[in-house]
Amino acid sequence: MSIIPIQLARVSNLLKSSVATGSIATTQASLLEVQNELSTGKQINSPSDDPGNAAIAQQLHKVLEQRDSYSTNLKNAQSQLGEVDSSLSDLNDLLQQAQTIASANVGSDVTADGRKAAAAVVQSLYNQALTIGNRDLNGVHLFAGDRQPDPPFVSVQGGVKFVGDDNILHNNTDDATQSAFMVDGNRVFGATSTRVQGSVNLDPTLAPNTRLTDLGGAGNDGIHLGGILIGNGTVSTSVDLSQADTIQDVIDQINKAAVGGITASFSADGKGIQLNGTGADQISVREVGGGSTASDLGLLTTTTNAAAVPVNGADLRPQLTLLTPVASLRGGTGIDLTSGITITNGGVTANIDLSGANTVEDILNKINGSKAGVVAKINAAGNGIDVVNPIQGPSLTIAENGGTTASDLGIRSFASDTPLSQLNGGKGVRTAASGADLQITRRDGTAFSVELTAAQTVQDVIVAINTADGGNGLTASFAATGNGIVLTDTTGGGGVLSAKDLNNSNSTADLGLNASVTGSTINGSDVNAVEANGIFANIGKLRDALQSNNIDAITASGVSIKQDQDRVIQIRGETGAQVQELEARASHLDDQNVATKSLLSSLEDTDFTTAITKFQTLQQALQANYLTASKVMNQSLMDFLT
Amino acid sequence: MTLISALNIGKSALAVQQAALQVTGNNIANAGNADFTRQSAAISPTEDQQLGPGMFVGTGVNITGISRQIDNALNGRLNSSISDSQSATTQSEYLSRVEATFNELSDNDLSTRMSTFFNSWSNLANKPQDIGLRQVVLDNGGSVAGEVQSMRTALTSLQDDVNSRVTDLAGTANDLAQQVADLNGAITTAEGGGTGTANALRDQRDAAIKQLSQLMDVKVVDQGNGSVNLTIGSEPLVLGTTNRGITTKQDASSGRPVTELIIKADNGTIEINSGELGALTQVRGKIDNVIGQLDSLAKNLIFELNKVHGSGQGLDGFSDVTAENGVNDATAALNDPKTNLKFTPTNGSFVVHVKQKGSGLETSTLVKVDLDGQNNNDTTLNSLATSLDAVDGIGAKVVAGKLQITADNGDTTFNFSQDSSGTLASLGINTFFSGDSALNIAVNKSLQDDPSKLAASKNGEIGDNQTAIAIANLESAPVAALKGASLKDSYEAMVNGVAGDVATSKTNAEAASAIKDTLTAQREALSGVSLDEEAINLVKQQRAYQGAARFISAVDDMMKTLLAIT
Repeated sequence: MSIIPIQLARVSNLLKSSVATGSIATTQASLLEVQNELSTGKQINSPSDDPGNAAIAQQLHKVLEQRDSYSTNLKNAQSQLGEVDSSLSDLNDLLQQAQTIASANVGSDVTADGRKAAAAVVQSLYNQALTIGNRDLNGVHLFAGDRQPDPPFVSVQGGVKFVGDDNILHNNTDDATQSAFMVDGNRVFGATSTRVQGSVNLDPTLAPNTRLTDLGGAGNDGIHLGGILIGNGTVSTSVDLSQADTIQDVIDQINKAAVGGITASFSADGKGIQLNGTGADQISVREVGGGSTASDLGLLTTTTNAAAVPVNGADLRPQLTLLTPVASLRGGTGIDLTSGITITNGGVTANIDLSGANTVEDILNKINGSKAGVVAKINAAGNGIDVVNPIQGPSLTIAENGGTTASDLGIRSFASDTPLSQLNGGKGVRTAASGADLQITRRDGTAFSVELTAAQTVQDVIVAINTADGGNGLTASFAATGNGIVLTDTTGGGGVLSAKDLNNSNSTADLGLNASVTGSTINGSDVNAVEANGIFANIGKLRDALQSNNIDAITASGVSIKQDQDRVIQIRGETGAQVQELEARASHLDDQNVATKSLLSSLEDTDFTTAITKFQTLQQALQANYLTASKVMNQSLMDFLT
Repeated sequence: MTLISALNIGKSALAVQQAALQVTGNNIANAGNADFTRQSAAISPTEDQQLGPGMFVGTGVNITGISRQIDNALNGRLNSSISDSQSATTQSEYLSRVEATFNELSDNDLSTRMSTFFNSWSNLANKPQDIGLRQVVLDNGGSVAGEVQSMRTALTSLQDDVNSRVTDLAGTANDLAQQVADLNGAITTAEGGGTGTANALRDQRDAAIKQLSQLMDVKVVDQGNGSVNLTIGSEPLVLGTTNRGITTKQDASSGRPVTELIIKADNGTIEINSGELGALTQVRGKIDNVIGQLDSLAKNLIFELNKVHGSGQGLDGFSDVTAENGVNDATAALNDPKTNLKFTPTNGSFVVHVKQKGSGLETSTLVKVDLDGQNNNDTTLNSLATSLDAVDGIGAKVVAGKLQITADNGDTTFNFSQDSSGTLASLGINTFFSGDSALNIAVNKSLQDDPSKLAASKNGEIGDNQTAIAIANLESAPVAALKGASLKDSYEAMVNGVAGDVATSKTNAEAASAIKDTLTAQREALSGVSLDEEAINLVKQQRAYQGAARFISAVDDMMKTLLAIT
């Protein structure tokens, strides 16, 4: 009830009653409000009670709900990584045991039977490692990456195949923060060493359908779509590229704008856009507003070009994608599709015919679909192809099949540019301490020696041989089919072409030249087969070495296992750090929640002291209202007249 | 001067006091009647009689009039304040009901449900292949959709309430206008052009106008002949004894039925700014606005989520899929309004992956959705079907305006990814939500039937969670169609907008009520009946009457004395 003006000349009976009714009603409404506040414990029961604070409260509720989710994810990540940590610990123990067995069995006091018995123990370790690799927590395989729900390691003939993926899962653990809750099984179990990493940047050119999202952009920061301002010295037109999806869309939009006689097309090298003017067009390209589209497209001009001088856009760095046309690879030269490649994985050799492949995906599918059992994929940098042998055990070679396909794709496992140090599983070529390393005897009986001390790559060896021959009928080259150095004798003699070591070098074997002679040719063997290392391979080797009583091999596998163990310890350390970070984050989240809840409470919850005081005040006001009403309404002059 | 004259003086006094007593009695009788205006009798002496030069003697008393104690200007202001107060109260009441439909700050409001829904996507990201978690996402999606739908229904039924209330009140207003017209006739007849006033009739008319003021801001124009004209805005409602009438008509041009007020005589629309009817019109606009915001929120939620979902993959590929949304014209560009698509795709592309079940190998094909308006080759549904049909391993056709894609045989399945055009979401392929507004938002039936189709993966791997995370992050992500606001911001803005309106309307109601109370008090001070005052009048008139009677008795004695001389 509002306060009515008191300077009234008269007070009617109706006014007295309506004032009483009004003030009682108002006080009762206020009492109800306080009663509600006290009974719910909330001072804001609906947002309109206090829109300002309610809006803040609403946001705080949202924050708490969001943090609930982070908290759930943190708990999940903690338990997953906790399990990983314990698995890595088990794996470490197991590798330690294997190593101990290896050390204990290299001594001369151990009998062949004793080693066989130890081999049985190692086999059990092998099985345990497989079990650890396939551990899961609530159905999520710890080491399978995003390739769930099957176990990531399966026993196949000749070894253990990794069928998981190295893409590991992350989840939100804070605003704009994601944490991994897996580790890369591939890395833990050492499958990476079986990878043939693309040595060639496949360097695709632009195709009309190349999507802007697949471009690195001139600044290697992608293309930020917006407008660009194109001028020809007379007029300037803003070209809106915000709806462009492919590079052809960009060219179309610029041509549609028709600024003077300026036209856009692919640049000569096929990696950017070129703007050509006609006649007096002085081309300039500027940004619109604070955008970066022109510079991202490599078209930004700082000065206006002279008349009819084209703008040659920068390299837009097209990424290699599954959809990249084969024809656009290698700067538009494409690759040799007619010859194909030969992949040998363990005992399996597959000749892969790539004819008919239109896209990179077609090539990958042909490799992946072959019986070689390898996995080909685009590398992490997005510019080449990696071939991975998922099976630990056998070794992998990728060779030409008469052409240049494997080299073009950068996946030839042994090529003329391979460094000598990489050969023979990293052992390199053991050359002589001094003097010549190699003697080659031509079929005509003449011989010459070759010194390899300065050679760094296989090509250097080939050059050294050819130089040493001095044009006397022997030619060294790299095999066009298969992998290896080929020695061809054209002397026409009746003797036997041969190569032998000099000065205690081991170069013929290390270069693969100890292969058998076919007429006037020695087809050198592949001495750069990619060794399948990794935990399963190395434990397997230890087992086999113990079985076959091969002390050198036992020692070698012991060393490899030590390397595996070091890696596992390192990953365990990283995982431990991750778990610690998650714990710190969880604890920080709890602290934040306490602060937020306290703020929320101050906004939302009833201040009981204030509310009860208010309740009592209103109660008294109501009593006063009743009293006043009964007194005022009951007084009348009539009562005094007789 | 004669004794007879003196008797006449007494007689006039008796008559006048009797009449005055009647006025007092009438006032007392109406003491509890809020519509009554206190009356008072005007008494004046009758004309003097000249006894001699310069000597005048009174001849008694006479009643010159019985008038209402009223200030018409004050009454006008009071009526206007009644309109305003009623308007504010009604707005506050209805807006509170709008606010109640949100049920915000509780544990089961839409905002909580949205959080739970998006959080369940985040939880799914912890184990994307889990059917149980997928079911939870679907259930929570259903809960959001259900709540949005039920809010929409509640708001629509609130609008229906408003419309039917408008119809009811239009009838009441028409009756009151008729009463005023009738009373205009009665008053002019009763007053007959003379100087007197038909007080009771005028009180009745004032009461009718006051009631009418509760409904609308009516303007009263006194015609000077006893009748008043009423106008609403510039439209006359009552002209003398003619009621031009108020009625309603239905208008559905805005897509929702709206009951509009019109003048019966000429179907002229009337604009009411105050009173209960004015408030209802304004409230209806606000509810419309809230419905619009809710629809926009739902539409953006559906489209944004479907865009991400459409580019994601479930546990298995599709063997066949039919678009949820059809087009009216399969030969029109997909962004042409002729298609009648509720969500407009943009220039872009998407990738179709055809997977061989046996080998697991996929073949990807870029499908261009050309909507740049150039070269007359913009993508239509038919041309899209042709492009898709050309993809090895799948067939596509348009059936009854809907795109249908089918794997060529049982050995292949297909999936989609990287849709930069929004075409899949627009056509309703591989979507999470179906529908296009708050009215029909629902979780896609095909997902409910087969939760494995829920797209949590972005790269096609069963265990991948990138789409799930992208969707989990969607609630706070800026949406271009919402001018950069997020879905969460947009909903909060809607709730806070209504909360602000409710709070303002409550304050307005209190302020308007204060003005009304003040003016009522002022009116009461002038026109209200005070029983104390009337009691004094009563005593005064009683005594005057007794005095007059005593005077007559004295004159009578004098006459008896004179008559006794004979």
